[in-house]
This record gives sequence, C-alpha cells and structure tokens, in this order.
Amino acid sequence: MRSLTHLNARSVGEACALLDEYGRRARLNAGGTDLLSVLKRGFLPDRPEAIVNLKTIPGLAYVAADEDSLRIGALTTLVTLAKSEVVNEEFKVLAEAARSVGTPQIRNAATIGGNLCQDVRCWYYRYPHKLGGAMDCLRKGHGGCLAIKGDNRYHCIMNGKGCFAVCPSDTAVALAALDARIKLAAPDGERSIRVADFFGPLRNALDANEMVTEIEIPRTARPSTQTFLKYTTRKPVDFAIASVASVVWKEGERCIDARIALGAVSPGPVRATTAEALLLGRRVDEESAVEAAEEALAGARPLSMNEYKVHVARVLVKRALLEEAD
Amino acid sequence: MEHADRIRLTVNGKVHDIEIGDRDDQVGPLETLAATLRERLRLTGTKVACDDGACGCCTVHLDGMAILSCMTLTVECDGKDVTTIEGLSDPKTGALDPLQQAFIDHTAFQCGYCTPGIIMSAKALLAENPRPTEEEVKEGLSGNFCRCISHYHVVKAVMSVVPPGGG
Repeated sequence: MRSLTHLNARSVGEACALLDEYGRRARLNAGGTDLLSVLKRGFLPDRPEAIVNLKTIPGLAYVAADEDSLRIGALTTLVTLAKSEVVNEEFKVLAEAARSVGTPQIRNAATIGGNLCQDVRCWYYRYPHKLGGAMDCLRKGHGGCLAIKGDNRYHCIMNGKGCFAVCPSDTAVALAALDARIKLAAPDGERSIRVADFFGPLRNALDANEMVTEIEIPRTARPSTQTFLKYTTRKPVDFAIASVASVVWKEGERCIDARIALGAVSPGPVRATTAEALLLGRRVDEESAVEAAEEALAGARPLSMNEYKVHVARVLVKRALLEEAD
Repeated sequence: MEHADRIRLTVNGKVHDIEIGDRDDQVGPLETLAATLRERLRLTGTKVACDDGACGCCTVHLDGMAILSCMTLTVECDGKDVTTIEGLSDPKTGALDPLQQAFIDHTAFQCGYCTPGIIMSAKALLAENPRPTEEEVKEGLSGNFCRCISHYHVVKAVMSVVPPGGG
C-alpha cells in the first residue's frame, strides 16, 4: 500500500473539518474491518489521501436509554450491542443482527457507524486493479453496471438503479424495522434522517463533509416481538444472501402493528409496507404469514441469475413472522 | 487534528516506542499491526494468511480483546496492550500455557499455520467465559479457519482445559 497521511481526530468537529478539507479523498476509519480491505485491494477510482482515525474521539461509544429513545454512539462496537442488556431486552432484532456480523474478532473491532457506512461487496466493484487492470463501473464513475449482464447472483432483486450492488449491512435491516434515525454531523451543523433514506444505489446520503455520529431508536410503550433472520451460504464471515427483520405488536392474538424490513435485496434495507398493512387486525398464522411474504416480494424484479433470492427472502419473511407466532 | 509521530505499544509486557513516518525504519501510516509484530518486532508466531480479515490466523489480543492484527493499523494502537502467542508462556520458566499444552496433547493441528490464531481466540473466550459449552467454543472459534480440518481436535483440546462441571 502506498503511503498517505494518517490523522487522529480529537472531536467530531475536527473530523468534519478534515472531511471538508479533503473531500472524498479522505476516509474515516473506526473498526477498520472494511476500510483496510478496501485499501489493500486497491479498487477505488481515487486513492485516498488521508485516513482519519475516529477512535481518538472521546465519548462516541455509548448505548444510552432515555424515556423516548435509545441512542447509540457511532463508535459503539457490534460486540457491545450484541451483549447490551437494554438492546437484548427491548431491541432484540438489533442484538441478533449485530451477532450475525462477521466473526467474534470482527465484532470486537467493528462499529455500528462503520457497519452502516461500509462499502458494497459487489465482486466487480471490489475487483483489485492489480489483477489485470481496473474494472470500471458506474459506481466508480465510468461506464455501466457490470452485474447486469454478468454474474449477478448476489445482486439486487429490487430498486437497483445504475448500480445493482446490495446493502451489505445487517444492522441497517434491524434498524429499518425499528424505525431508527441516523444522526449526521457536518461542519455547519447536524441533521437526522431515517435509516431507509440513508442508502441509495450509488452511494449513501452522506455529503463529502459529513459523518455518522449517532443512531436513535424510538422506544415504544407496548412490547413487541422481534426476529432477525439472515440466510448465508456459510454461518460465520458471510454476508447475507437475504435477511429479514420483523417487529410485531399484538393485542391478544391480533396484530395491531408490524414492521418488516428486507436486507441484501436492494441498495438499502426495504420496508415491506404493504405486507405490514396486510397483517393489521389479523392473527399471525401460516396463512397470513404466507400472504405477507408474497406481498413483501411482490415488487421484486430479479436479474438473470438471482431469482432464487426472491424465494429465499419470501421464506425468511414467513419464518420470521411464524417464529413470532410461537 | 493530531498527526502522531511516535506511539507507545506494549507487546507481551514489553514497551516499544515506535516512530511513525515514511522511512523504512519507521512505521508507515498504513502498516498493519500484523506487519509490525512480524517484521519489526520479529514476533513471527502471529501468522498472516488471507490478509483480509476473513481467516483469523492473525488474531492477537488488543487490551484483552481478540482482534485481527491484519485489519488494525499500528499507528492507531498508541497506548494499547498487545498479547501475541509468544506472550502466553511463562516469561520466567518458559513453561507453556495449559491451553498450548492441551493443543499438543490433543494433536490439535496438522500444518499448524492457523494454530496461533486459534489459541489466541480460545484464550480470549476462556478469559471471558471460563466454562464455555462445546457450542460456545465453536461459536468463539467461528472466526478461525483451518484448511487441515483440525477443528474437531481443537474443540477437544479447548474443552479439556475447561474445569469439570462446566457449561
């Protein structure tokens, strides 16, 4: 790896100021479990000129519950979330998603902010330049998406546009089902956006001088049942072929509210809102779960090699809902 | 901002004052902890196989946590305490850690390349959970790959150091 500048940020303001100065030629580093791989493989169109270490910013790793919400600092590690008492009790779907990431060693280092901001896993995009030259694609700023005509078995089955790489984040799926918001800081202030709005086909919603500082999950008075299911070809160190996070509220046997989020099917987590609506007022049983699963994938437009993902995702939705029915 | 020009790193109880910079005798900003341990400190017990965070061969303890030294920048380890496989034996007598001895007694390796990483992962697991179940051992070692399929013997070796009545 060629040398570049390494800087330790001492505050969020300082990190944002550095982003302002370097633009997209600076990369923020937290756990490093994605960034180091990105740098070693060397596939980015513009080599970064600066690495900004965020771990030197004090007070950005926390899980804090108040009356209305749970707030999670961007530097909170996945192992912390997987073990957090409040997360396991009230936001089980997030604890399960965090536990499903990578390996114990990765979860010890990787942060929730980094899990949300990690780059996509598309094998054309991540193909190392040194092995036979760069593979250009729209995500790198030149040409179209190579997956459309190529091997697209792991790519989008919905919402792809220009780029068909899926969102690799597991926690994003759980956070979408929990209706969480992401707080972004810039040199001139902060803004907060819904998790589902954070992701887009070509890049996330971060401006060049912005960084993720906090995740906020609303607390609900009524307890819910929550399930996260992730389908992978092997158990550890693997990204989802499809995943589902479900949060269901019941009154007696009837569903009074439901949130279902699909993962690894689209550039971001997708809320299956029509499937959610279909469950309202009904018992969650085999019949309604199968209907909801059909509805959740009704908008799927698979590519040439990934129709199987539609079936996998459908089964996951059904299983997630029925797991809650037990 | 701070542009570090020196860091202090404690490795197996020994403090190292490391210069950061672009010269060959300095640690560059993109040098991984695995490279520093192996090539500068000559602690070659830590292995690098995939160099991409996926195999676990480079596992060391950073402030007591099992982490991947190939995915960690040395420059970001200022003030940290690192333990490698070389740090497990008794520094005075040289006696092996009981877990290391268990790996020998159970022949829990073939080529042995992945073994230091596996032992460091197992050690971290046992420090946190001294009486793991077999399932917990498998989960704790799920980030370590062995191409020789030593896994069965590894699980036996780790379980052999768990006090009876565990789980």
